[in-house]
Amino acid sequence: MLDAFSRSVVSADAKTAPVGGSDLAVLRSYVSQGNKRLDAVNAITSNASCIVSDAVTGMICENTGLIQAGGNCYPNRRMAACLRDGEIVLRYISYALLAGDASVLDDRCLNGLKETYIALGVPTQSAARAVAIMKASATALIGETNSPASGGKRFRKMETTQGDCSALVAEAGSYFDRVIGAVS
Amino acid sequence: MKSVVTTVVTAADAAGRFPSQNDLEAVQGNIQRAAARLEAAEKLAAGLDAVTREAGDACFNKYAYLKQPGEAGDSQVKVDKCYRDLGHYLRLINYCLVVGGTGPLDEWGIAGAREVYRSLSLPTGPYVEALTYTRDRACAPRDMSPQALNEFKSYLDYVINALS
Repeated sequence: MLDAFSRSVVSADAKTAPVGGSDLAVLRSYVSQGNKRLDAVNAITSNASCIVSDAVTGMICENTGLIQAGGNCYPNRRMAACLRDGEIVLRYISYALLAGDASVLDDRCLNGLKETYIALGVPTQSAARAVAIMKASATALIGETNSPASGGKRFRKMETTQGDCSALVAEAGSYFDRVIGAVS
Repeated sequence: MKSVVTTVVTAADAAGRFPSQNDLEAVQGNIQRAAARLEAAEKLAAGLDAVTREAGDACFNKYAYLKQPGEAGDSQVKVDKCYRDLGHYLRLINYCLVVGGTGPLDEWGIAGAREVYRSLSLPTGPYVEALTYTRDRACAPRDMSPQALNEFKSYLDYVINALS
């Protein structure tokens, strides 16, 4: 597993060069944006159950066949497995966002996930849709762009210092896209 | 590769929980100290060749017998390898300064070094001498800021202790 710092070390070691210049500039920006990043991770972890349950609910609302007899979320046991998987994916995304590197997500979560889902008969399209909804709500919470209209009675805004966190929103979005790309 | 962030993530993953407030605080502490580390890494990267040369010269000056026939540095090829190894140690120190932990030195420098040096019947004393010279030669604020120098020297001491 790597983070932003060890990633630059591993790639520098491959060419037996010290880490300097432009590599350090990237790391300095990680350091200077550090508090924003921790706030972003906090935005995900504090709202984890809401993000996950909303995503699974949305997925089922769009495709109600899932909870009818024979559907993949039909008995509570399988619905629970679905919620659990959503939480696991979101957890590894929060690790990746904290580390500033996708390797933990790739190694520990996505490697073999699609094959497992196919073997178990899980519809990967639905899984990808649930992750897409998680992406929408998580990025809205990180960027504080969510509104009462879209949040409904579960609307919540993180009370952090106002500022530009578009880079972090984009980075978090890229991890969700990575999951979507891996399962579909 | 071990660093503060990967340690935190590994622990959280083993427990199957999201990063907690404690985890975020640990990362925050690491970030606060990062500026000095990165400064030291930058200065060391910029002067790596010069520092290596000075360190190697110091060691051959002190142990001049190393260049006599039958000793560890009796040909130019062997002398060059000594300088190369010093460069490797300093480069690994640069990596340690970047990740903020001894992971790169442990994994790529120190693990197995003792066995290798013994089997090649190389003395580790001259390496210690060279790195000690570097440590004592570096000074603030000429080379880097005091806090950065402190970080740099602590990794030099780590290698010196491992080799002596």
